Amino acid sequence: MSDASWKSSQSCIELRGLTVAYGSTIALKRLDLIFYDGVTGLFGPNGAGKSTLLRALSGLLRPSGGSALLFGEEIRSSSESIRRRIGYVGHESGLYARLSVIENLSLFANLYGVTSVRVDEVVDQLDMGEWRSMQVAALSAGLKRRAAVARALLHEPDVLLLDEPYANLDDDASEQVSASILAWRSPGRVAVIATHGAKRVKAFADAGIIIQRGNVISYRRRTPTGYEVAT
Amino acid sequence: MAERGFVSKTTLLIRKDLLVETRARDTLPPMLAFCLTVALLLAFSLPGSAVLSDAVDLPVGSIALADVIAGFLWITILFAGLIGFARTFEIERTEGALDALLLVPLDRSGLFVAKALSNLAYIVVVQLVLVPVFALFFSLDLGMDWFVLVGVIALVDVGFVAIGTLFASLAAQTRSRELILPVLALPALVPIFIAAVELTSDLFMGGGLEAVAARGWFGVLLGFDLVFATVGALAFEFAID
Repeated sequence: MSDASWKSSQSCIELRGLTVAYGSTIALKRLDLIFYDGVTGLFGPNGAGKSTLLRALSGLLRPSGGSALLFGEEIRSSSESIRRRIGYVGHESGLYARLSVIENLSLFANLYGVTSVRVDEVVDQLDMGEWRSMQVAALSAGLKRRAAVARALLHEPDVLLLDEPYANLDDDASEQVSASILAWRSPGRVAVIATHGAKRVKAFADAGIIIQRGNVISYRRRTPTGYEVAT
Repeated sequence: MAERGFVSKTTLLIRKDLLVETRARDTLPPMLAFCLTVALLLAFSLPGSAVLSDAVDLPVGSIALADVIAGFLWITILFAGLIGFARTFEIERTEGALDALLLVPLDRSGLFVAKALSNLAYIVVVQLVLVPVFALFFSLDLGMDWFVLVGVIALVDVGFVAIGTLFASLAAQTRSRELILPVLALPALVPIFIAAVELTSDLFMGGGLEAVAARGWFGVLLGFDLVFATVGALAFEFAID
């Protein structure tokens, strides 16, 4: 699954003292990090702050302090042009339960100005053809996950933020999700994947971050010879 | 494919809301059921042989039956609207679609306009059912003044859905949104509904357009419509975030 020719080097996301607090509970503590292009795995136990970090990176969560810059522009105050560059999958599918898979994807395709050819492409990539006319409410948890990833990839974003994309997926479906992420990956694009299934992401990740209780415990980047500590 | 403009994207979102409602049917049926129940109860509680100019004795004095019916008409629309507004973001909450929608490259005011127009569609359907039912039950015969009543309803609806949609977006962030929405929205809605009752009551009493226009309530409605449509579109971003 790993691609030896890949070399990530371009800084895409920069966190400067990013802090997120829910009332008196601090979820992320003054994070200073640079995400380079390629795939970064985000690992850590429950409650470590993985989902909070992804929401802050997407701009859906307002930081309590510090800032997050996406390609040099502050995410929170960003315009439609920055939003267009983000693909995000949270804990839920982010789809309309009463619309079919294809209706959902067509709706978002139209909102992003994406052609129907691209819709068919992501449906094929994630092997959703058989369920394309089925309402999302009737899909299994695993199929909803795949449809959610399809929605996030639809507009070919430069930043892909995936929260537990392998949840409820069997091995074949997990392979399809990994393959579609690899097909999307190209220089200048960054994916951050939060997961408990470290093994699956480690197979092709260019970097890995372990966070615990809102602090970064370890940040390593892949090199031709192994891994090096990153800043 | 060229990216769509503001109007086109907003239209897509309205179509999506209406399509989901035709399948789920969880907003309009409760609104309509509430309206028809109130109208039916009222028909049984008011004297059957009375005419609109008859006086109704209340502990605080006597008022014309037209005032009572106009009041009940708008109270019914008000509460039916609140039932619908409380569900404004329900379809987005079910599968977390609100996050996906907030990341779409569309100005937040576009989301507000789409939600407000979807709500307007529900309110108009309710009124299309309720007003003829009231006309039938209470022998309302306005002649050409029906057109004036339609104008009054249209003016009320603009402010009503603007306020309702704005506060629905605030309430959507809370767990007890059905309870929070009326608490937030009712104080802002009171002036609009006072104007609506006054104008409708005058029409029911046979005042006609000239008498109604002379009382200045049209100005109040227009002012509220302008203020709340503008405030709604501008403040929606902060409310939904």
